[in-house]
Amino acid sequence: MKQLRIDLSKCDAGRNCEHECEQVCAEKVFKFDDPERAALHIRELPDGSALTIICDQCGDCLSICPTNALTRTKLGVVRIDKKVCVGCFVCLGYCDKDAFERAPGATEPYKCNSCGLCVKACPHAALEIVDVPVPPTRLAAAPTSAPTQGGH
Amino acid sequence: MIRVNDEPIAWQGGMTVRQMLSACNYLFPLVIVTVNDTLVSRGDFDTTAVPDEAVVKVIHLMSGG
Amino acid sequence: MSDCTNYDFTKRTEYLDGLARFKAAHRVLAEVPFKPGLPQRGYNHRSLYVNVGTLKIEEKPVTQQMKDIFVGGRGFGLWHLWNAVTPETRWDSPENEIVISPGPLAGNTQYPGSGKSLVVAISPQTDIPIDCNVGGYFGPLMKFSGFDALELQGKAAQDVIVFIDGQRGFIRIEAAPLEPIDSHVLAEVLTHMYAEDEADLRNVSVVSTGVAADHSLIGCLNFSWYDLRRKAVRLKQAGRGGVGSVFRDKRIKALVCRGPVVKGDMNNPVDLDTIAKLGIKMHKEIHALDDQQCHMRRQGTAHLVEVMDAYDLLPVHNFQYGNHPDTKNIASGVWDKRFTQATVDGCWYGCSLACSKGADGLVLTTGPYKGHTVTADGPEYENAAGLASNCGIFNSDSLLEVNFYCDTYGVCTITYGTICAFVMECWQRGILDAERTGGLEIRFGNSAAQLEMLHQMARGEGFGAIVGRGVKKMKEFFIAKGWGDPQLINDIGMEIKGLEYSQYMSKESLAQQGGYALTNKGPQHDEAWLIFMDMVNKQIPTFEDKAEALYYFPLWRTWFGLMGLCKLPWNDVEPANNAKTAEPAKVPEHVQNYVDLFNAITGAQINQELVILQSARVYNFQRIFNIRMGKGLREHDMPPYRSMGPVTVEEYESRAERYDMQLKEEIGVDPAGKTVAEKIALHRAHRTDRYNKLVDAVYKRRGWTPNGVPTLARLEQLGIDVFPEVVAVVKAHLPA
Repeated sequence: MKQLRIDLSKCDAGRNCEHECEQVCAEKVFKFDDPERAALHIRELPDGSALTIICDQCGDCLSICPTNALTRTKLGVVRIDKKVCVGCFVCLGYCDKDAFERAPGATEPYKCNSCGLCVKACPHAALEIVDVPVPPTRLAAAPTSAPTQGGH
Repeated sequence: MIRVNDEPIAWQGGMTVRQMLSACNYLFPLVIVTVNDTLVSRGDFDTTAVPDEAVVKVIHLMSGG
Repeated sequence: MSDCTNYDFTKRTEYLDGLARFKAAHRVLAEVPFKPGLPQRGYNHRSLYVNVGTLKIEEKPVTQQMKDIFVGGRGFGLWHLWNAVTPETRWDSPENEIVISPGPLAGNTQYPGSGKSLVVAISPQTDIPIDCNVGGYFGPLMKFSGFDALELQGKAAQDVIVFIDGQRGFIRIEAAPLEPIDSHVLAEVLTHMYAEDEADLRNVSVVSTGVAADHSLIGCLNFSWYDLRRKAVRLKQAGRGGVGSVFRDKRIKALVCRGPVVKGDMNNPVDLDTIAKLGIKMHKEIHALDDQQCHMRRQGTAHLVEVMDAYDLLPVHNFQYGNHPDTKNIASGVWDKRFTQATVDGCWYGCSLACSKGADGLVLTTGPYKGHTVTADGPEYENAAGLASNCGIFNSDSLLEVNFYCDTYGVCTITYGTICAFVMECWQRGILDAERTGGLEIRFGNSAAQLEMLHQMARGEGFGAIVGRGVKKMKEFFIAKGWGDPQLINDIGMEIKGLEYSQYMSKESLAQQGGYALTNKGPQHDEAWLIFMDMVNKQIPTFEDKAEALYYFPLWRTWFGLMGLCKLPWNDVEPANNAKTAEPAKVPEHVQNYVDLFNAITGAQINQELVILQSARVYNFQRIFNIRMGKGLREHDMPPYRSMGPVTVEEYESRAERYDMQLKEEIGVDPAGKTVAEKIALHRAHRTDRYNKLVDAVYKRRGWTPNGVPTLARLEQLGIDVFPEVVAVVKAHLPA
């Protein structure tokens, strides 16, 4: 599947660029003026390290959508079918990578679809789209703790 | 001897909050525990000791779906 | 069975063979067009009236006064019902109505638990209004077709389906002679019949009951929702009080609503961003914490089974005892494995608590569907406690089967559980025997007899048909026949006002005794659940403390029924910092979420105090409605003694240490030298007196007279003195 990846040694937490990746994503892909609305985020943390919020198409959200609005395309990319989406935002709430976005006033979320425009825009070639195997679908209700046992 | 919600409960050396709850058969998950008026968060139940003579409150939230 | 990742949960017996034949036999009796619409700020300002006898179909306005005083949901239901009936109306009078109303907040897809409808009717069991809170898609789909409430009145001359098409814009009453009425079949058939293609299936919801509702007073309603991943119709229940029996008495076979494709803003709320923010915050909270808290997503409310057992609160053998060594066979560990985990189980979109678990691949072993493969919805805690432990049956397979049959036959599982437990104890005590039951050996633990009795009820024959009258009428029947000591029968028959108790032990919690007995509809736990607060936390030691809790919590919990919300996301999950708040039992952050949600949808500016006032108007109106219908006074709030203390020698001896200590410490009597019978009598006198003192304190706090009548001052405070008929009912019972 097509997966967006970042090389942090080249990215430098966005200190040496204009966050062109976020700009082009917000403006050209999702039609927002504000780069905050991009489907990826590169931030410099106080300790100098980088916080990157990027969808890795893991598909953990696939089992959570009540209307099956989340599916993988032929290229393995997880996409939202807006016709089918009821706007519950459970996907946004459940994504451990914070990969879903919601713009003010919106009834559906949006997310990275591995289009690659950010890759082209990056002045340091820190981003790339790689082809990796599709991981198995994990259940949203998978236990993280042992179920309680009953009786005395 | 410790007191849990005003009831006397036998104490053993090294008793943790989790063990105290087990001794009382307090299985309900939504409980708030204070030991000598200090709140113990749920993540610390296995590692926080209950000292001898402690006054423990185990406040259960509501249930009843 | 594992967590079912390898099990094909789309496999089940199908029932669509007869669809074309059923449809061909339909005959349109009446059809009226309407202009589909969407709510504005949560309200359509229209409701729908359908009389299945006269075939009148008309729209009615929702007035500002209705919104101000009754708000929605149960409030609208009670208001319509009040105007439809007289004090002489009984459940089977043609003017009785079934009113279904979602509420201004229902239908939003972001906040967990936002799909509820409230169902109100005069109950066959109590002769006063019953109100039920039910999930499924019918209410929101009807709301998004254009209606804030539906009134069903009259009686049809033949079996009919009432169909609301919110896409094409018409309401139709059609004769439907051929379809079977059991819900797991009928809801599937009608969902496929009225959907125009596969994508449309989730836009259709069916309200139905089952054959047992034709032969009993305890029928429930099932509200369907289409489960996309299972490719199956699922059911939620409007359970208590026998509304399904009213439905069938009106010869309604089903209600169907076909609504528009659901999107996230169809309430046309004032502030969608706040709603989304609140919903997302809850989804994150549930994601992070449910698995460490109540395991709702994996186990539903069945997580409570072993918890209640640990606290001596799980009803066993007709509420005689509170725990049992075999509880582990029906506890949450069993259900964690048996429920299918690989799918989404919310009974409305956006509920991330998603506790509507299903057990797939159930092959039925008895009854008319023997050998069929079905999905059983649940069990929920109430089903496990009522049908299993309270009946001494600790078998998960038989629980699934009896749960399934109750649902499809249209029988309330809580009611059937308490009914079974009662007859089983009657068998234990020789009040019933094989001759009296027609050979049914209905003893504790006999799951085969429990199932056969249900099948008899469905066929309308044998002892099953007698139990379908409910505990109250059975008590009267057994006493009239001279089958046992009347006091014992009355003591152990767990009902008040004609409605059976739900499945919690109130015996050692005075607050919960009040919580059950002082509930408007009858002893259902939806108004107050105070056992931990009372007995474990010891936070409400005085009568006034208990009265304060019995003032606040019923009003707070009533609010969900005005709004169309499920109360489980309020307190079956809590924020990480809840322990540090001033009143953690109220889960204050969640209460504020609900206030914010209401304001964000409706544009109002309420706060936590006004929430209580909204509820208090409807709550007191319902009390007055009860008085109007003959069961709203102090004498009707008196519980059976089994709910308050030990009735029998075995009960006393099972907790002798505790009861002897109470004799010494609370009653001031030395147990030494006293017989068990004497000690039981001393307890009874003390507990009864104590209960009456509680009632005094609660009535006072609620602004009611010592006879339980809301005072005129209270009516004025609430603003419901504007209705002369309401004032007249109250005045007739006030001291001159």
